Amino acid sequence: MTKPDPLPLVQGTLDLLVLQALASGPTHGYGIATLVHQRTDGHIAIEDAALYQALHRLDRQGLVDAEWRPSENNRRARYYTLTPDGRKRLREETANWRRYARAVDALLAGA
Amino acid sequence: MTAAHRPFWYLGRRPADLGSEIDEELRLHLDMRTEELVARGMAVEDGRREALRQFGDLPGTREYCRRQDEDKEHRMQRALWIEDLLQDLRIGLRGLLRAPVTTLTIVVTVGLGIGATTVIFAAIDAALLRSLPYADPGRLVRIHTDAPPNRFPFSIADYLALRSQQTQFEQIAAYAVRVMAYTDGTVAERVQGRGVSWTYFSVLGVKPAIGRDFTEEDGKPGGPLAVILSRTFWQQHLGGRADRIGKPIQLDGAGYTVVGVLPEAVGPLERGQDLFVPVQFVTPPRKGPFFLTVVARLKRDGSRATAVEELHAINRRIFPLWRASYQDDKATWGMVDLQSYVIGDVRAIATLALFAVALVWLIACTNASNLLVARVTGRRRELAVRAALGAPRGRVVRYLLAESLLLAVGAAAIGVALARLGAGLLREFGASYFPRTGEIVIDGPVLWLLVGLTAGSALLFGLVPAIHGSGGPVEDSLRASGRSSTGAVSVRRLRRILVGSQFAIATPLLVVAGLLLASLNQLGRVDLGFNPRNVLTGGILLPARQYSDSRAGAFWDELQRRVEAIPGVSVAAFSDARPPNDVNNFNNFDLEDAPTPSGQSQPVVPWVSVTPGYFQLLGLNLVRGRLLDKRDAVLPATAEQPVVVDRAWVRRFFPDRDAVGRRMRQGGCTTCPWTVVVGVVSEVKYVGLDQPNLGTIYAPLAPQTHARYIDVRTSVDPSRMLPAVRTAVRGLDAGLPFSNVATIDELVDRSLARPRSLSVLVATLASVALLLSVIGVYGVMAYYVQQHAKDIGIRLALGGSRGDLFRLIVGQGMTVVTGGVALGLLAALAATRAMSSLLFGVGAADVRTFAAVAVLMTVVAFAACALPARRAVGVHPATVLRDE
Repeated sequence: MTKPDPLPLVQGTLDLLVLQALASGPTHGYGIATLVHQRTDGHIAIEDAALYQALHRLDRQGLVDAEWRPSENNRRARYYTLTPDGRKRLREETANWRRYARAVDALLAGA
Repeated sequence: MTAAHRPFWYLGRRPADLGSEIDEELRLHLDMRTEELVARGMAVEDGRREALRQFGDLPGTREYCRRQDEDKEHRMQRALWIEDLLQDLRIGLRGLLRAPVTTLTIVVTVGLGIGATTVIFAAIDAALLRSLPYADPGRLVRIHTDAPPNRFPFSIADYLALRSQQTQFEQIAAYAVRVMAYTDGTVAERVQGRGVSWTYFSVLGVKPAIGRDFTEEDGKPGGPLAVILSRTFWQQHLGGRADRIGKPIQLDGAGYTVVGVLPEAVGPLERGQDLFVPVQFVTPPRKGPFFLTVVARLKRDGSRATAVEELHAINRRIFPLWRASYQDDKATWGMVDLQSYVIGDVRAIATLALFAVALVWLIACTNASNLLVARVTGRRRELAVRAALGAPRGRVVRYLLAESLLLAVGAAAIGVALARLGAGLLREFGASYFPRTGEIVIDGPVLWLLVGLTAGSALLFGLVPAIHGSGGPVEDSLRASGRSSTGAVSVRRLRRILVGSQFAIATPLLVVAGLLLASLNQLGRVDLGFNPRNVLTGGILLPARQYSDSRAGAFWDELQRRVEAIPGVSVAAFSDARPPNDVNNFNNFDLEDAPTPSGQSQPVVPWVSVTPGYFQLLGLNLVRGRLLDKRDAVLPATAEQPVVVDRAWVRRFFPDRDAVGRRMRQGGCTTCPWTVVVGVVSEVKYVGLDQPNLGTIYAPLAPQTHARYIDVRTSVDPSRMLPAVRTAVRGLDAGLPFSNVATIDELVDRSLARPRSLSVLVATLASVALLLSVIGVYGVMAYYVQQHAKDIGIRLALGGSRGDLFRLIVGQGMTVVTGGVALGLLAALAATRAMSSLLFGVGAADVRTFAAVAVLMTVVAFAACALPARRAVGVHPATVLRDE
């Protein structure tokens, strides 16, 4: 059985995915990419370039904190942690996403 | 990372660091991805290529991330900087509150300096720097007759000629004082108005807020009478009702239709005026009289030189037409900017006042500097410890400057409060001292000055102690401040320089104050020429419509009879002028014995019309000839007109001959009968106490003259007689306005208001300057004595004479003081020459004033030095040595 091609990212969901991935604990960029890939069973793939841009943007906005720490294989890695502001944003974005998805579902069910 | 746990040397990351961090992060990602692919069986080279492909736009991402990081870094640094500053301010405030007396002294004195400077500057800004609040004011000029040294207004003949012949002005307008009696049916009131050409408001670009402007119809002879009201008059007398517009009001007994109401804010020409009525000009029989102020607007692209040439040309053209009534062929027409006409000659006063307040501000800052140096010196050890712990010098300076900034802001707060108060007072009461005070506002340039003064204060009294406090090798400071006798030499020198400067600044201020007070004293001693005690005067205006000439004559006779019948009144008389500075009429004349040559201007003197009792009332001495009597006022028009002159007139025109019987033509009229001198009396001041007597002519007051002053000599306090006089006026005509009531003493007092207020202002400032200087020298001496307590103790213990020691210590302070005073006297000598126009009866280099100031400063400074010195030598030596 061949897997279908991963879906392209819906506009505006990148930040949500990154924040959600960090909700379970601090990790580095590669870890986030892996996490998203596993949890969505490969259905959603974030482009690496976009991921890192999102991380630095969120850092500037104060939604995540960055810190250098030794990684699993003992190299210096940049670990990202959710800040309280980031956590709040994640809750808001999640709720927004749910409302949006329900609305789209309802629309499609009526068709 | 927050400010709390960051080392003081932290300077932030440089952009290069940011770039390499991003590279490291991205490299790790690519390595891990490659490892994953290799683990799945890919060759290392293929894996690396695939990882790069999967990543996407690498250079773009690197650039994007770098920009984000830089942005974040900048914001963090800004936040840190502010946090630092706030911390400095917090610590500074705590420190200042620990020394409340020093803090309060600095804040109050510098605040006073800032406030006073701001107020004076606001007045100057409103009067001299702001253009007039009219449309395109740069093109507005005043046109006048120019007969050097005099400039005088236009006549109706002049105005009509200019109006019909000029081509260089967009429009011209004329106005004259027009005092009218307003009646609302019951009570009459004297209102201050202007008779204007119908073009008046359109030349200035002023539009009525309600109703309409005057039109050409309003200015035509025989047309209906119109009036435009000030907003204040409309609100106070017509209740601010719009339905009164278009309806008539009663002025001088006639109905004037209200056509418009001016806006609330008016220009300096309209300020204080109740109403404006258009003058309906008719061609006059003779050239004079000259009473119209002409205002004109230059054409947009017109040249001033051409306009002036045209004025000269028109004047030459019309001169032959009026030869019978006007012979002054030297006089021409000229123009000045309306602005300089409005503000007049106030530059000297303005400059002096601004210098005085600015010097006080400077001296307050110097004093603050002095106090702060003392404070920093006391804390040198604390600052040295800070430096030893690694605080860079810049950081310590900043900390000390933050303290100064706090003081300056406190001072500015007081300054703003004072400035607002002062500006309010000037707006309310300043009109008689300075032009355009009603327009004073604290905004724009004034606010910038305030900001500048505050920042300047902080730098002036902050930088010296800050640099001083942070300078010098750390170890020296630590060691030196442990002991008291050495290490303070540079401090002492600095403070001595500051105190010397204070005296150098204060001395010229005191000299100026002294000169002004001496002038005021001289003015107060000017001989008025008569006894001003117990003379009451007031203006009465008979409405022309209700009083025919004969009725007016009967009214004045009856009023004089009734007033003289009041117990306590000795004499009542009428005049059209009042001492010491109220002349209604200046007139030119041509002497029969000494005709004015062609090409020169005829002499002009105050022409005072009086009833016969006036001479007796003032108590003037008859020197020669006779006084005027009742018949002189009713001579036939063809008879010679008798006048009485004063001694000053005789000195000027007939210094060695008898003046009685001399004849002259008055007012430029060559066909009128002769005017003949019948008597000579003593002089009276009519054009101001500070003006020399240049001769006065008294003419009989025509019985029908509708506007005049009643003058009453009383045997008791004249203000107590006022109700009775008022009743007498009311008894004859309840609707008559009786205004401008004042005793001569009050008029004299009022004429001194301007010089007096200037003297008081400068004297107050000078006292503050002196006080601050004394505080300064006292502080230095107290510090000196404290630093040298040990030396003094040793000398005393070794048998030194207390007197010698006292002299030695006091000498320390007095060298500085005398140096500063000497410097200040030299500066004053150079500066006071510029203020000679403000002085009266005292020279700008008046030796007595200079000497008095030098003595005063020396004596006061000596007292300030002697106090700490006495205390120091009075102590028992053992006490001092034990304390050490």
